[in-house]
Amino acid sequence: MAEISLTVNGERTAAQVDPRTLLSDFLRDGLNLTGTHVGCEHGYCGACTVLVDGASARSCLMLAIQADARSVETVESLSVNGAGLHPIQQAFKDCHGLQCGFCTPGLLMSVVELAATNPDCGRDEIREHLSGNVCRCTGYHHIVDAVERALNGVPGRADDS
Amino acid sequence: MKPPRFAYHAPRTLPELLETFNETADEAVVLAGGQSLLPMLNLRLAAPSHVIDLGRVPGLDSIASTNGSVEVGAMVTHYRMETDAVVAASVPLARRAAGYVGYRAIRNRGTVGGSVAHADPAAEWPIVLLALDGEVGLASVRGWRSIAAEDFFESVYTTAKRPDEIVTSLRLSTRCAHRWGFSEFQRRTGDFATVAVAVACAVEAGEICEARVAIAGVADRPMRCREAEAVLVGGSATAAADAAEAASDSVDPISDIHGSSAFRKRLVHAETLRAVRQAFSANEAGARDG
Amino acid sequence: MTADQAPRYFGARVSRRQDDRLLRGAGRYVADINPAGVLAAKFVRSHQAHASVTSIDIDAAGASEGVRTVFVGGDFADHEIRCVSSYAAFQESAQPILAVDRVRHVGEALAMVVAEDEYLAEDASELVVADLEPLPAAVDIDAALDVGCAPLHPGWRHNAFVRRQVKTYGFDDASSSAPHRVSIELHNGRHSGIPMENRACVAEHDPGTGQFRLHTTTQIPHLVRAGLSWALGVPESLIQVIAPDVGGGFGVKAQLYREEVACCLAARQLGRPVKWVEDRREHFVAAHHSREHRHKVTGYFDDEGTILALEADIAVDMGAYSVFPWTATMDGGMAMGILPGPYRIREYSVASTSVCTNKTPYGAYRGVARPAACFSIERLMDQIARHLGVDRVEIRNRNLLTGGDYPWRSPSGLVYDSGSLIESLEAVVDLADLEGLLKCQADARAAGRLVGVGLAVFTEQTAHTTQEFKQRGVPIVFGYETAKVRLDASGTAVVSASIHDHGQGLETTLAQIAADRLGLALEQVRVTYGDTEQVAYGAGTFASRSAVLAGGAVTKAADAVADTLREVAAHILEAAPEDMVVESGRVSVAGSPSRFIETSELCRLIYQRPERLPEGVEPHLEASRTYDAHPGTGAYTNAAHLASVEIDPLTGKTRVLSYAVVEDCGPMINPTIVEGQIFGGVAQGIGTALFEEFLYDEAGQPLSTTFADYLVPVMSDIPDFRVAHLQTPSPHTIGGLKGMGEGGAIAPGAVIASAVEDALSHLGAVIVDRLPLTPERVLGYIDAANSSGASA
Repeated sequence: MAEISLTVNGERTAAQVDPRTLLSDFLRDGLNLTGTHVGCEHGYCGACTVLVDGASARSCLMLAIQADARSVETVESLSVNGAGLHPIQQAFKDCHGLQCGFCTPGLLMSVVELAATNPDCGRDEIREHLSGNVCRCTGYHHIVDAVERALNGVPGRADDS
Repeated sequence: MKPPRFAYHAPRTLPELLETFNETADEAVVLAGGQSLLPMLNLRLAAPSHVIDLGRVPGLDSIASTNGSVEVGAMVTHYRMETDAVVAASVPLARRAAGYVGYRAIRNRGTVGGSVAHADPAAEWPIVLLALDGEVGLASVRGWRSIAAEDFFESVYTTAKRPDEIVTSLRLSTRCAHRWGFSEFQRRTGDFATVAVAVACAVEAGEICEARVAIAGVADRPMRCREAEAVLVGGSATAAADAAEAASDSVDPISDIHGSSAFRKRLVHAETLRAVRQAFSANEAGARDG
Repeated sequence: MTADQAPRYFGARVSRRQDDRLLRGAGRYVADINPAGVLAAKFVRSHQAHASVTSIDIDAAGASEGVRTVFVGGDFADHEIRCVSSYAAFQESAQPILAVDRVRHVGEALAMVVAEDEYLAEDASELVVADLEPLPAAVDIDAALDVGCAPLHPGWRHNAFVRRQVKTYGFDDASSSAPHRVSIELHNGRHSGIPMENRACVAEHDPGTGQFRLHTTTQIPHLVRAGLSWALGVPESLIQVIAPDVGGGFGVKAQLYREEVACCLAARQLGRPVKWVEDRREHFVAAHHSREHRHKVTGYFDDEGTILALEADIAVDMGAYSVFPWTATMDGGMAMGILPGPYRIREYSVASTSVCTNKTPYGAYRGVARPAACFSIERLMDQIARHLGVDRVEIRNRNLLTGGDYPWRSPSGLVYDSGSLIESLEAVVDLADLEGLLKCQADARAAGRLVGVGLAVFTEQTAHTTQEFKQRGVPIVFGYETAKVRLDASGTAVVSASIHDHGQGLETTLAQIAADRLGLALEQVRVTYGDTEQVAYGAGTFASRSAVLAGGAVTKAADAVADTLREVAAHILEAAPEDMVVESGRVSVAGSPSRFIETSELCRLIYQRPERLPEGVEPHLEASRTYDAHPGTGAYTNAAHLASVEIDPLTGKTRVLSYAVVEDCGPMINPTIVEGQIFGGVAQGIGTALFEEFLYDEAGQPLSTTFADYLVPVMSDIPDFRVAHLQTPSPHTIGGLKGMGEGGAIAPGAVIASAVEDALSHLGAVIVDRLPLTPERVLGYIDAANSSGASA
């Protein structure tokens, strides 16, 4: 076991970990941050995507011990229960950008990064940039709507009830 | 799909790293970005007794342009190669290739040194190295040496690196960076290449005086295609079809579920054609600015 | 039934009730559940496709750190999963919980390690040594049916679970006198739903009460309970099955799995909760496969292209075992029934063989057999069009059912209730701008590019119930769904349903229905599902049934509760119950809106002031109702799809450029959710068409066991969609609703194949007859078209 100390969602955290513990398992089982989902454990599906020092990372392809002295952000960092949704979350809700919700947390974290580094994407570029996050429910169309809306404030396709 | 148990080492200096590796080398693997190693651990295709993390060793992540070459630290990520100004100016082929590696999250963590040391015959960096007459810098407690890329890759996941050596840097020559092309057949965005082709040419007095064509995905290692190169030297834009044909004729590819040998020969033709056309077309970003 | 309320939410694009918790990462999936003292299970699986189990050495594994115990087949030998069809001559197969003396597919579980955590369980699992004596593996339909192939199960005569044959009386005359015929053979790759969440379950057993509680990733909690009851030999009253948030199902999670039984048995034996979370590699070899059909189809037609008779020979590779609750006949039977599709075909001869092979067992996947059936009939229509030199839209118009044909009794005995086939085809031609696409095609061809347009029309049998499943020979007839509606003393409602929502949005759409019926705001209705303790019985979510059947049951239950509100309000307001109007949070007297009582106040009075109730009325605002959409043969949704593709002539890689859908699923509760279901289905269908296949080698080794080798479409593979709706109500169902959950996934294989064939049509004649259309296969078609064009 080894001692690690890191910042998770803005809070300093120290823990004892087995060096082989995956970051995804540490977040879920060690910190009870179960919003990070595990879909493949070989880096393809993107469900476990988190931000490490602001850059997206597959938490299944990282050891928890590699996150020592780093800052990790998970979906739980985006908004707190009882308060409003993060604008990206709100766009996903408005555009029906999720169905079963399993891929959603990882996708949201990828969109947070995209918004920070490539905010001027069109629909095709959004599709290229987010091709590492697999969704099996939505057929992606509504996700692209949501991301476009989040990035550009594009109106339309929202709830018209 | 959880990693097997191992002892973890995070040396803080290069000497400490080399010492640790020397002591454990037979049973150790090096963890660079982990984007190939972690899947192998999770799938239990690798079961090392020791994992040595390069992530805390300073000095392995620089990019420096020197006279006639660009030196890239082993821990430089794919994403940095995609976005770095020196890379873009000096070896734009490398920038283009970086964009084909996996997805953003993979490119954020995966490293050029890790990719080269892993020596997957379908990976991008090995053919970039071959095309840009690259060298691989290796360090061990015994000292430092560099190996020409052509002598480095030996077989699937097998290189000329000795067991106690660690890849510390890559050197990419700018000699052949004047005209370049990179084309890759991916089934989906971010997939491993079924076939990828890198073309780099040196130009003198408007003529191609040296051409290097490197192909991934057709053999147990990245390979240069001298037949295609011969067509390109002194050749004009019409040489693309001839080079593609020469490349396709020269390979005897493997078959797997992503494509039979015959299919891969067709892909070599297609991607060589595209890469060479890029190299000849200023509009397709194949010619170096200025 | 009350018709006096104007719907407020029905038909509205309200955003979903579950989204906030899912977006915040606060969903609760099975893998998130960790009861105190929980142990982790890891299964040791066969690496042989077919073998005798000589011995299994578990000593080293049992001594490994953190291991509680290691189970092998003999430990659970008193338990098995059987699913027996009532079809004549059906050959039974029993799935052992862990293999006892034989393994029949790679991935079949040989041993189960239970340890303190997943890491330790996996460590120990590597120490289990199974001595397997290889047997010849039957790895495809022809090999398994070969007379030289030994039967795969004891007592069997051959390797067909069942063979069935149906022929109409007039078939022989119609086919023999037809002036034209076209025959094609079509192959559909083996693939599956691949939900992003792998399977998982947590089993608990209370030694005091003897009660089991199983949290599991299922679409069918009540059916899992029924199957567990049989497999465990325990009455249903002692089994609670809970399916919390589930990360996609698509049919893959609509089976009882051996791992669920194993975890229950292990939890009882060890006295501690046992949790199993499938990993992705296991999912590829142990979660049920689907889709692998081979159809030989012949169309007989006249000079105008009118189909006079249809002949089909269907074979489905069902893998090693008959699965619960579907049996191994489901796909073959469904294909036999629906293959004539949307066309006015009267004479039909069909044979179907459900083949047992040494592959992973075969279960449900969105569309069940209909994608293969649609592929066959639509490919056939294209060939007939080409044979006669008739346009593809025109040939369909000549054969499609029209309004006057309904109700249409198909030659396989299905009763199509209603539809708008010709209208949907016409509409999709406009929506997709077929004329514009054809002009683009002409321009592209002039530039040496390969661009094609494809289309398909289909009917989707949905919400079929008692009548249909009785004929299917399944042991449990999935005849109805149940809903319970309760108003509490605060005046808010809880709706509990036997269906499950794992993305379909039923948590919202059922609330829309209940809110309208009870005159409440949407926020005042909470919908729960996925717990067998909440409603008595039901089948669950599959076969495009949930909105229709659960929607109907919610309507009935809510109306029953509303009747009580009316009765008490009438008493308090001194008016007649039939004059009471329940809407906008109050119950008022019709025509006198100032005479009302707030619904919340009324609810409070009913529960807390029983003295205010009229005589004979119980202080009870709860009703449970079931709904079986009579006559049980289904409500028929129809749709037309039209897409364009571009093929890279050098590599064969095919890109979908545009995709348009016109769908008629009757009145829509929430059009946004309907569109999401369509888009998701189409994307999965594009996977069927271009990407997804479980490949095996000659020894039965699966070659697609990671996401690097089994390719699901990613965001850049899927185009933007265009969608439009027609709304023809079903005459049979409450609200005229029709199901639509599967429809999107049905047509894309046919549409893309048609488009690829069209893209090559100027080169030469070729029949695109195999899915998925991998680049290598498409290059083969290009070569064939070129050589056929050169020799023509």
